[in-house]
Amino acid sequence: MDVRNELTARLDACQKCNVCTAQCPVAKVNPHFPGPKGLGPDMERFRRGQFIPGETTLDDCSNCKTCEVTCPSGVKITEMILDARRAARKGPHKTMPGVKLRLRGYVLGRAEYLGKLGVLWPGMANQALKLNLVRWALEKGLGISQKGPLPAYGKPLEVIEDKAGRAGVTSGKQVVYFPGCYTRYNEGETGRIMIKVLEHIGYKTIVPNFHCCGLPLEANGQFDKARKNGLYNLELMRPYLEAGVPVIASCTSCGLTLKEDYPKLSASAAQMIGAQTYDLFEFLWLLYEKGELPLDFQQVNASFGYHLPCHLKAQGIGTPALRILRLIPGVKIRNLDAGCCGVSGSYGFKAEKYDKAMKIGSPLFEAVNVGVEQGDFQEMLTECGVCKVQIQHGTSIPTEHPLRILAKAYNIIHE
Amino acid sequence: MWDAIVVGGGLAGWTAGIRAAQRGKKVLIVTEGVGTLYYFSGIFDYGDVAGLRHFPKHPYSLFDAETIDRGKQFIKELCPEYIENNKSRHALTVLGTVRQGDLMPRSMVLPDRQEQGIFVLLVPEGLKDFFPEIVVSNMAREFPGWQVKVKRVHAEILGEWERIGKSASGIDYAAIWRSKEGQNLLAQEIETIKREQQGAGSKSERIAVVLPSLVSEYFDASRTKIYGKDYSLPVIEMSSFIPSPHGRYFAEYLKHQFTDLGGELMIGARAAALTGEPVSDKQPKSCQEIIVHSMGKVLHLKAKKFILATGGLLGGGIKVGIERKSIHEDVFDLPLFVPQEWSASRFFAPQPFAQIGVETDNCLRPLDTNQGQVIWDNVHVVGRMLAHWDPWTQRCGGGVSVTSGCAAAEII
Repeated sequence: MDVRNELTARLDACQKCNVCTAQCPVAKVNPHFPGPKGLGPDMERFRRGQFIPGETTLDDCSNCKTCEVTCPSGVKITEMILDARRAARKGPHKTMPGVKLRLRGYVLGRAEYLGKLGVLWPGMANQALKLNLVRWALEKGLGISQKGPLPAYGKPLEVIEDKAGRAGVTSGKQVVYFPGCYTRYNEGETGRIMIKVLEHIGYKTIVPNFHCCGLPLEANGQFDKARKNGLYNLELMRPYLEAGVPVIASCTSCGLTLKEDYPKLSASAAQMIGAQTYDLFEFLWLLYEKGELPLDFQQVNASFGYHLPCHLKAQGIGTPALRILRLIPGVKIRNLDAGCCGVSGSYGFKAEKYDKAMKIGSPLFEAVNVGVEQGDFQEMLTECGVCKVQIQHGTSIPTEHPLRILAKAYNIIHE
Repeated sequence: MWDAIVVGGGLAGWTAGIRAAQRGKKVLIVTEGVGTLYYFSGIFDYGDVAGLRHFPKHPYSLFDAETIDRGKQFIKELCPEYIENNKSRHALTVLGTVRQGDLMPRSMVLPDRQEQGIFVLLVPEGLKDFFPEIVVSNMAREFPGWQVKVKRVHAEILGEWERIGKSASGIDYAAIWRSKEGQNLLAQEIETIKREQQGAGSKSERIAVVLPSLVSEYFDASRTKIYGKDYSLPVIEMSSFIPSPHGRYFAEYLKHQFTDLGGELMIGARAAALTGEPVSDKQPKSCQEIIVHSMGKVLHLKAKKFILATGGLLGGGIKVGIERKSIHEDVFDLPLFVPQEWSASRFFAPQPFAQIGVETDNCLRPLDTNQGQVIWDNVHVVGRMLAHWDPWTQRCGGGVSVTSGCAAAEII
């Protein structure tokens, strides 16, 4: 461990400058939230003294990680807060949320099971979710906001098993695709387009039958289940990781979980997963730099606004989608960089947090609306599924995964 | 392959990045956090440029007067609200004392001390780390011909904060003053002040409102100027303190300028080392790539030029171990100038440790401290990382950062 890591691991690196709290989207709208500095490094001193606070205040953290990318001293603030939530669950003075909130945590944490149910009969699930009565019942029964933009279900993405038998022995280039629950159950089409794009650039895609990456479980206080999912998924990936096959994520939160949390699990594959996981466009840029990315682009005459999802920002890889899309003739993009959209996974779907989430997102909505009014761009692009849903909810401006623009340029889709 | 990679997102880094992007270069800025601009007062200090240029090895001595002026022009073009101090201009510190400044927002400039009039200090309820009593007594001392009055202002949107006794930071308040509701509230308050003062018979007297946490400069994320209100009395901004609203809006503005010009920001990533090889047997070497730690993996980023803008001791670019012998520059492991004695006895006296940094040639390329030879041909050092200057006693922090950032960008 170098000196720097040692410093940041220690809470002493925090200089108490309060910049993280000034940038925290939640502290901006919720006076009862102590903010990242208060909840992270400040309270960490108490926690070291075995004073374990209840989980409810900790629960106000939306886990967007803005504080971590903000900190001028590299303090791992969200990590401290998440550890504290873990401890609060087990702590001597444990304060569990009431039954309703626990039940909600169970439901929202299980995007995967909801997805499996939803896609059984997507039409019906979507219709049901549109019914005021159903939404009212969800709010009363589970504390899930009536107004929140719950994503619709679609035709699920199919699992694609590796036919070759043993990983890495097939001729030709392979990737493992980690679609994540949103792509798998809500937007399978994006996953199918991605597989076609990868095929176009010469890669065969394998989609093992993964479980949820675990992030929504963690965000909803189910740390054990999250860890088990991680171990399960790692075991599925292990043969591929050992064979040097890259793992690609199109969802930025899944990607971050694979890069940040999986390396901490106790499994042999944990050593490899961080370095071998790529955001889709990060992977494409790597190919471009090696001269291996086909540049047979058709002209796409369009202007876009781009929203950088918090969990992509936290990966510390910049904005690779903009790098790639700007290679396409005709494409113009502005990186709005107007802060968190507010929904942060399932945070903005919670009844008591819906209004706060909308307030958090308001600078972004304004930047989108003004840009469209001034004719600077007509559509929005963002990688994260729930950011997308929230931007559309807050502005009614059509929003897509940037992959679709690439697919148009490669003549894979035509609308 | 980038034309240049800038390491560090402080004033010098942004300046280098934006200027290079304006020149059509492909630039990447790699930064671990938001940088020290969040500690910015809102005012650029240049110090006694002519005098400092004759200090041996002072960064100003590396540049001609024209280059230093180009930096100022760069800021003035970027921030049209900033004016240069050709006569003695002053602004208020957050304690109500008066400070000089060389490049400051027009709305910070204080009236002449010889004149007479009334200051009304608007005090936002619950503004964190703001002490109106101290401000009033300092202002009364600094402006003997002026009366200083206080009026409290209450923003309904922070009602819940007030109810539970929680303070709001200058950044929170700045956001309110930049909103439509906030501006309407201010307009009302100021109109009331005007009527009250006129009612009190001070019709002919000059009245100025002073408001901490107000930032009327810079575009915001929607790329439009959010602050457009004219009030019935002149409103004077105070300079900022930590966490700084001026710094916050300025940093965001620089970021948007940079990315709109096609530059790319990689935040949350830590540059750790560089790799390069000697072009010949002799120095200087040429740097090919830097090693950057992103989440979970190590990136190798290639560029033609590399700009080191990681700040000094305070900014985190220079690391000191428990034992002072282990002082080093954190990214490129460049040799540092380190004085024999680090500190002097009087706290506010010039402190020798302020001079710690990297020595460079006129092109800002790092030098070997013993032989004085250029080490890297395509690495340029800017801002606080440069050796032989003291931003505190020489009051030239902004000037050195902007000048060196601009100068480096011209070489890219």
